[in-house]
Order: sequence, then C-alpha cells, then structure tokens
Amino acid sequence: MPDPPARDEDLVRRYLSGDRAAFAALVERHERRVYNLALRMTGREEDARDATQDAFLTVLRKLSSFRGEAAFTTWLHRVTVNACYDLLRKRQRAPLLERGEDDLPALEPPPAPDHADASSLSMDVQQALLQVPEDFRAVMILHDVHDLRQEEVAAIVGVPIGTVKSRLHRGRIALARAMGIEQQGRFSEDPEGPPAPGGSPGASRSGERADAAGPSEGTVSP
Amino acid sequence: MSHPEDLLADYVGGTLDQRERAAVDAHLPGCARCSAEVRQAEAARAALSELEDVPVPFGVTGPVLAEAGRRFERRRGVAWGRFQWAAGLAAAAAFVVVVALNVGGEDAQNAAAPERTTAVAGGTSAEGGAEAATPGVIHFAGLERQTDVNYDEAGIRAVATEAAGAVVAAEDARGTQAALASTVQDSKERTSLAKECVDQSGVRGPNDVLIRLIEAQFEGTPAYIGVYSEGPGAGQAPDHIVVFVVAKDDCRILSTASQRIPSG
Repeated sequence: MPDPPARDEDLVRRYLSGDRAAFAALVERHERRVYNLALRMTGREEDARDATQDAFLTVLRKLSSFRGEAAFTTWLHRVTVNACYDLLRKRQRAPLLERGEDDLPALEPPPAPDHADASSLSMDVQQALLQVPEDFRAVMILHDVHDLRQEEVAAIVGVPIGTVKSRLHRGRIALARAMGIEQQGRFSEDPEGPPAPGGSPGASRSGERADAAGPSEGTVSP
Repeated sequence: MSHPEDLLADYVGGTLDQRERAAVDAHLPGCARCSAEVRQAEAARAALSELEDVPVPFGVTGPVLAEAGRRFERRRGVAWGRFQWAAGLAAAAAFVVVVALNVGGEDAQNAAAPERTTAVAGGTSAEGGAEAATPGVIHFAGLERQTDVNYDEAGIRAVATEAAGAVVAAEDARGTQAALASTVQDSKERTSLAKECVDQSGVRGPNDVLIRLIEAQFEGTPAYIGVYSEGPGAGQAPDHIVVFVVAKDDCRILSTASQRIPSG
C-alpha cells in the first residue's frame, strides 16, 4: 500500500531542512487552486499569472517564518488574495496611457447574454464578478467557487465570521444585479441594499460592521 | 419579525438548522424585500457553481521553481563557485568592501546570508552596492511594467541612447542620482525575478551596474529589458550603456544594444 501523501506542513519542514523537491511538491499541489482564485479575482489571464507568481514568491520568501499556527492552505490563500488586491490596486493607479488595447479584459463579454451555452454563461459570470467590490468578491469566490468553509474564509480574509456571512449575502446580490437579475419586489429602492457595482474599495465598506481590520490592510506574514 | 439578514446567507447556502430555517420560511412570504434578495442570491450562487477550474497555463510556476532552486543553492553556498569566474579577484574585493558598507539592501534575507561577501559579484545585491560608490550611475528604482509596449531593435537602441544621456546628466549634477524609471514600479519579488532572469542569460559583465529594468515585449515576445552602465569599475565613471533583452519565459537572449557614454 502506498504511503499517504505528505501533509503541507511536513513538506514545508522538509524544504527548510534541505529537501529541495518538497517546495516543488507544494507548488504542484496548489498551483491550480492559486491560479484559479487569482483568475476569478482579477478576470485576466495575465494578471492571474502575475498574482500566482507573486503569491508563490512571497510564500518562498516567508517560508522560513511560517510557524504552522494557521494551516498552510489558509496562509497560501491569504497571500494569494493579498497578491490580487495589490495587483488590482496597481491597475487602478496605472495611468490610462499605459493601458493599450491588449490590456482589455482577457475574458471579453459576449455581445449579448446568451445563456444557452455553458462557456458564454461562464464568461458572463466572470464579467459580472468584476463588478462586485473586491472584498465581497473575495469572500464569494472562496466560499461559493472554492467551497471553503465560512470559518476558513474568515481566517483567510481576517474578518469575523458575521462579516463573512454579510459579505457573502451582499456580494451574491451585487453579482445577481451585475448579471441583470433584478429584484422583483416593491423594495428595489432599498437604501440599505447591497453595494453598488463598481469595485472601488471605498464602496465595499458600505453597510458593514466590524470591518476595521479588512483584508486590504491585512498582513501576509504567517 | 424584523428582516433576518444575518440568516439569509446560510439560508441560501442550506446550512441553517431546522428552527432557523423555519423562521426564515415563515418570514419570506410576507416580505417582498427578503424574498427578492433570496431569489437573487440563489441565482448568483447557482451561477458561481457553474464556474469551472481552468488548467494553469504553461510556464506560470517555472520561474518560481527556478527562484526556489537559486535560493536553495545560495543557502548551500554553491553560489560562490558559480559566480567566481565572472568577478575577478580585484573586482570581487572591491565589491565586498562596497557591499559591506551598504548592508541593508533590498533583500534582507540575502544580505544576512553568510555567503554574501563571496557571492555578491553576481548576486542581486551587487548593483545596490556598486552604484552608490560609482559616479554618474543612475539609481535603480525597480521593475517597470510596460507590458503593452512592443519594442523593436530601434526601440532598444533608443533605450540605450536615453540611458547614456541620463548618465551624462547625472554626472553633470555631480552625485545627484536620478531615477530613470517612469512607469509603475512592480513588487520586489517580481523585480528580483526579472533581475535573475537577465543575469542568468550570462551576458552581464562583472562591472555592469543595473540602472533600469523593464518588463515589455520585444517583437511580440514577452521580455525583460535590462539596462546596465558598464565601466572600468573600481569607482570609475561608466563609459558604456549596454542593454540586454531576454525572453520572459526562459531568459534566452533576444537582443542587445550598446551605446557609448559621451565623456564630459
């Protein structure tokens, strides 16, 4: 019977004690998850590549200070989300001049919604996701796409679990609106409704509580 | 009952206990707002569950593993043997002194490594030390992202000419070290990755000092452009600019250009 796969934490220890292949094993095990998280967060293949590299380079640089207080995957997700935030912030700061035609979103929206075919549906959803403020987007992707438990999402983004629930619900509503699924009730003018689409960090703070230590300022150190 | 907002995420997720679920079920028929929100949230959740993982494109983690290998070698002191040829004993000695005076470079981990004093001639901290002691050298400010810009041979020559002009200007300003970088600076990790890629191509001479590093395209290929000032070393002013263009994916050399720095 073959040995069970090594735990992440054991691979970290093995790398630090001189087993060069252990880091490659960690990367191989997690690259798909990291890349897809980054792709959903940024919406562009090029940004997802950059964020994936940034995340793993940060892990590499800080591996020796990883103490194992949090699970390795929690830490890796946190580093990845922070790499995405950094990249998105840089994009916002970059002057328009630097954004050529190649810089348009890699996943272009179809001319008209066509829900008949699965791949165009997936592109619709990705485009709509980018309209959801980053903090809400991160929570939704981690929970609803990557199937992480709310407790784990709370640890990754560094907010209380009540905030995770609230971001999850508000984020889903913002996503539905961005996809054109409107409220059908009489209360569509609700002033305490979900965040307006737009993705600015400021907008994402509205209607929330206990959010003083948001992930934007969160640390990537273990 | 007031709106059970804190329960709606778990209601949609199907994780409420029986009692809480019954409470929400009782509330919804009489509340247009909550039932509309639940409908929207359910539609969003269903859409998100349709998103499928995509495979990681080729070459994404290769540079990371290469960097891991380099760090590993540095830790084991192998770097010395690899870089010894490039330095020359006198140049190495000069760098050792310079770097020793400039501890606190960009990579604290490198700076703290015991083999620092022997590996600096080819290591990432060499530029930081040498530029401070060499007159007329531009301050290196980090990786510039110009990924939309597609350079050709003439463009690379223009980069070299511009750098030569900037060095002359810096000499005229007597010690004022201007940064050439004009665009967004990238993270330390990506800067050091790009540096290693240009260094790894093996074209760099022992007295070359990095003054500018650009991520762009060269004739359609994603590339790093390293701009170096080159001189006799030992604290003397540089006399040439050399530009190396290497492919981003495997660090192979795509082009070079050089430009003499007019002596003032």
